[in-house]
Amino acid sequence: MSRAGQGVVLRGVGKRFGDVVAVQSMNLEVRPGELMVLVGPSGCGKSTLLRLIAGLETPTSGEVWIGGRRVDEVEPGARDVAMVFQSYALYPHMTVARNLGFGLRVRGTPAAELERRVAETAGALGLGDLLERKPGQLSGGQRQRVALGRAMVRDPGVFLFDEPLSNLDAELRLRTRDEIAALHRRLGTTMVFVTHDQVEALSLGQRVAVMDRGRLQQVGTPDEVYRRPRNLFVAGFVGSPPINRIGLSRDGSGALAGGPFALAGPSGPDQATLTVRPEDLAVAGPGGTEGDFRATVLRVEALGSEQRVHLDGPGDAAWVARASPALRVAPGARVSVSIAWDRSHLFGPDGRREEGVARPAGQQVPR
Amino acid sequence: MVSGVRQPVLDSLAAVVLAAGLALVLVVAADRVEGARVSAAESEARMAAALWELEGGSGAAAAGLLGERATTTRADAGGAGPGPGAYAYEAGALDPAVWIAVTPRPADGPRRALPITAIAIALAGLTLVTGWVLARRRGPARTRHPVGIALLSVGCIALTAVAAGRWADRELRSLSGATAVQGARAVEIALQIGADLAEAARVAQLPWAQDQSLDSPTEQWTMPAAVAAAIAASPERDVETSAGNDAISLDAANAAAPTTQETDAGAPPIAPHTVEADGATWHVARSADVHVAFLGYERTASPALALAAAGGLAGLLVALALHLAQLASRPRVLGRTLAAWGLLSPAAALILAFTLGPLLFSLWISLHEWRLIDPAPLFLGFDNYAALLRDREWWSAIGNTALFTLHVPAAMAVALALALLTRGSRRALRWARLALFLPGITSVAAIAVVWKWLLSDQYGLLNRGLERAGLGSVPWLTSPDTALASLMIIGIWMVVGYQMVVFQAGLAAIPRDWYDAARVDGAGPWQRFRHITLPGLRHTLFFVLVTSIIGSFQVFGLVYVMTEGGPLGATDVAVYHIYREAWEFLQFGNAAAMSWLLFVVVFAATWLHFRFLDARRAHG
Repeated sequence: MSRAGQGVVLRGVGKRFGDVVAVQSMNLEVRPGELMVLVGPSGCGKSTLLRLIAGLETPTSGEVWIGGRRVDEVEPGARDVAMVFQSYALYPHMTVARNLGFGLRVRGTPAAELERRVAETAGALGLGDLLERKPGQLSGGQRQRVALGRAMVRDPGVFLFDEPLSNLDAELRLRTRDEIAALHRRLGTTMVFVTHDQVEALSLGQRVAVMDRGRLQQVGTPDEVYRRPRNLFVAGFVGSPPINRIGLSRDGSGALAGGPFALAGPSGPDQATLTVRPEDLAVAGPGGTEGDFRATVLRVEALGSEQRVHLDGPGDAAWVARASPALRVAPGARVSVSIAWDRSHLFGPDGRREEGVARPAGQQVPR
Repeated sequence: MVSGVRQPVLDSLAAVVLAAGLALVLVVAADRVEGARVSAAESEARMAAALWELEGGSGAAAAGLLGERATTTRADAGGAGPGPGAYAYEAGALDPAVWIAVTPRPADGPRRALPITAIAIALAGLTLVTGWVLARRRGPARTRHPVGIALLSVGCIALTAVAAGRWADRELRSLSGATAVQGARAVEIALQIGADLAEAARVAQLPWAQDQSLDSPTEQWTMPAAVAAAIAASPERDVETSAGNDAISLDAANAAAPTTQETDAGAPPIAPHTVEADGATWHVARSADVHVAFLGYERTASPALALAAAGGLAGLLVALALHLAQLASRPRVLGRTLAAWGLLSPAAALILAFTLGPLLFSLWISLHEWRLIDPAPLFLGFDNYAALLRDREWWSAIGNTALFTLHVPAAMAVALALALLTRGSRRALRWARLALFLPGITSVAAIAVVWKWLLSDQYGLLNRGLERAGLGSVPWLTSPDTALASLMIIGIWMVVGYQMVVFQAGLAAIPRDWYDAARVDGAGPWQRFRHITLPGLRHTLFFVLVTSIIGSFQVFGLVYVMTEGGPLGATDVAVYHIYREAWEFLQFGNAAAMSWLLFVVVFAATWLHFRFLDARRAHG
């Protein structure tokens, strides 16, 4: 049913609304058949970027290419893209069948083919019984599928999703996320998916583009983005619970010191931020004394499969550690905490990651 | 605890309200009869005054007609005027003028002075309801609707109203018969003091006809031909023997003027009876040569409507009181209900006084013939409406109104186009919107005057321009072919700005996502207008359509100032027609009936639109 997806290339694309810069001049390539997720906090310009690809906005600068064709002067309807909106944007006065067929109808698709394709899409999404209903008579999940079907029925080269899951309840969101992933595997079409939810981004995207304040911060696979964040923003934005951090500064002996730490970090800046993922902290039981620092347990969240241990240190800010459910600690207990130093990162004062791994002073950095 | 205190109080309240409602019904009936007595006295005073003038001022004839019921006061004597309970009439042609005051005719004895049966029914019903309420008090608190008490109360009110109505009707017929007899007596007296037949007959001031001429139309004076024919056809019967319970006491009529009876020994017996003619009952009395007919008070002062209204009101109040009593066991609900009513009551009072009240009053007027100067409106039932159905001028006005209303869709199309063109926040667009909106908030009269000048045949700017352009002038407002069209154009100009603003509000409410989705789907500007804008505006369109049509049906100011319905009635629209009927021809009954017919037309149109909209919504 489907043809191969089309690649999307943005070259120096920027967008300003009056004095407000929504998207800084940026380059981005979405490979044919790829599922790329644009993620970032609200107002970061990710939706504007998607609308630039769709043609709903005209770029202030730069070029948009889809499938090897420059399209920034081409009407949205002629770009071979389909879009699913956060609000679904179903036409409320049309039945499901007419909603699905609208894009084909305005293009003058013959009635027989239109009906065949609507029926096919409705069948694939389990909408067969709802074809004569109006959007107002559908549940949230059903509307979402109609919106999806409206995009699918035209068999476009690129699918654009603008936060399509944010109006669904938690359970339905997970299920629909799986369905979109399955749809991508089945169709093999290029998809660009916008979300503010980093968990959604990591679980769904083949590659993830993290944006902040109109700039691309990092583009990479979910693992790259999580394990090797390019800057402090990405490190802080991706991951839940959020990454632990502490400010360090160079002391007289040349070590980066802060809280209980004195690190023989890479040579370079005099100021740095040390970050450690919650799962890279090992909390020893109350008896344990070995560790990189000691802290008092503030609170323990027992989540069943794991525990989150909230600590009052090492610095002024609280840290969170992920621990096995077998660990027995109670609030108020003093515990020893070890850091998996090879998975920690140092970020310079400009927020960029410093190459090399931090180590406590006196330990050797393995080569 | 609270309910334990309130339950009996509220239960008793129901009984008290019922008593008040029954009293209201009885008072209304008595008031109707009392009003007719005063009217009858007024008629007799006028007869006496006519006699007084006829005989040149001695007053003997007037005294002969009315006996001790009349007192006369000369204006130059500084008389204090008529005393309490008397109706006074001035014999104005005399100099000095004279007040003739007539005491209203009393009821025939104490037994008939009061609606005994109705009072008995009311007392019996009240006793039963009170007993029931007291019995309820001893039982546990009730939460169910007291249906039994409600039915009993409403039945009691209905029976009382019917009995009171029958009593009032009988009294009114008796008064009507007596008035007819007095008319005939006045004619007798006038003939005796030397008046000719026509003069004498006019003294009665009632429809009358010379006896010998009942079959000859030329010699019937003011009596409707149908009535004369009915009198001629009916054997003269004494009502007492023919009408059974509705008997008019001839004795009473005669007893009122015993002196005349004695002086006119040779006069034929005066025999009031009734004939049916023209859809009404006429009370007829006969003097020697003349029939005097009288359209009875039971028709001109019919108690039926007033009693129905009083009964309905009483029933409503009792239902209200019972509803409260039923809530007594749930004090919180009762408190909230009372608070809600308390908060609603100022607005409700305003609506009652200034909307519902006048509405009902106009409905009442529409059932009567009323020229504002008439002392009592004549009850016609639905005659006004029936006449309107055959009134060609009225339907022509309706037709003109419908034609005028065709400007609404045209205006809406223009307004929608303007709304789409002037969207946005640029300065020029804001000024354009202001300019377009101005006519909607300008006085109609001012607009009409300016347009009248612009469209004037000779001096109008428009025709000057056309002539200069070599196109010749157009008789905008002076030809029946163009006048209505000219008004329609002005109508469009007046409403377009308002409609535009409403459309823009509607457009702003259409989510931008729909347009975005349609653009991605490949829809062009026209397809987006057709598939997104129009459906998204359908509620706005409907609102504007309905309100504009209603407004169009009420068009008045333009017509009143610019064309006065002319030329040749070409712009005679419904409301202007109603206005003229009421305030130029003083036919308030007709005008009220027209208003209600217009209301029905507008209501039907609105209802059809709603149905149409529902159907569209259901079938997409």
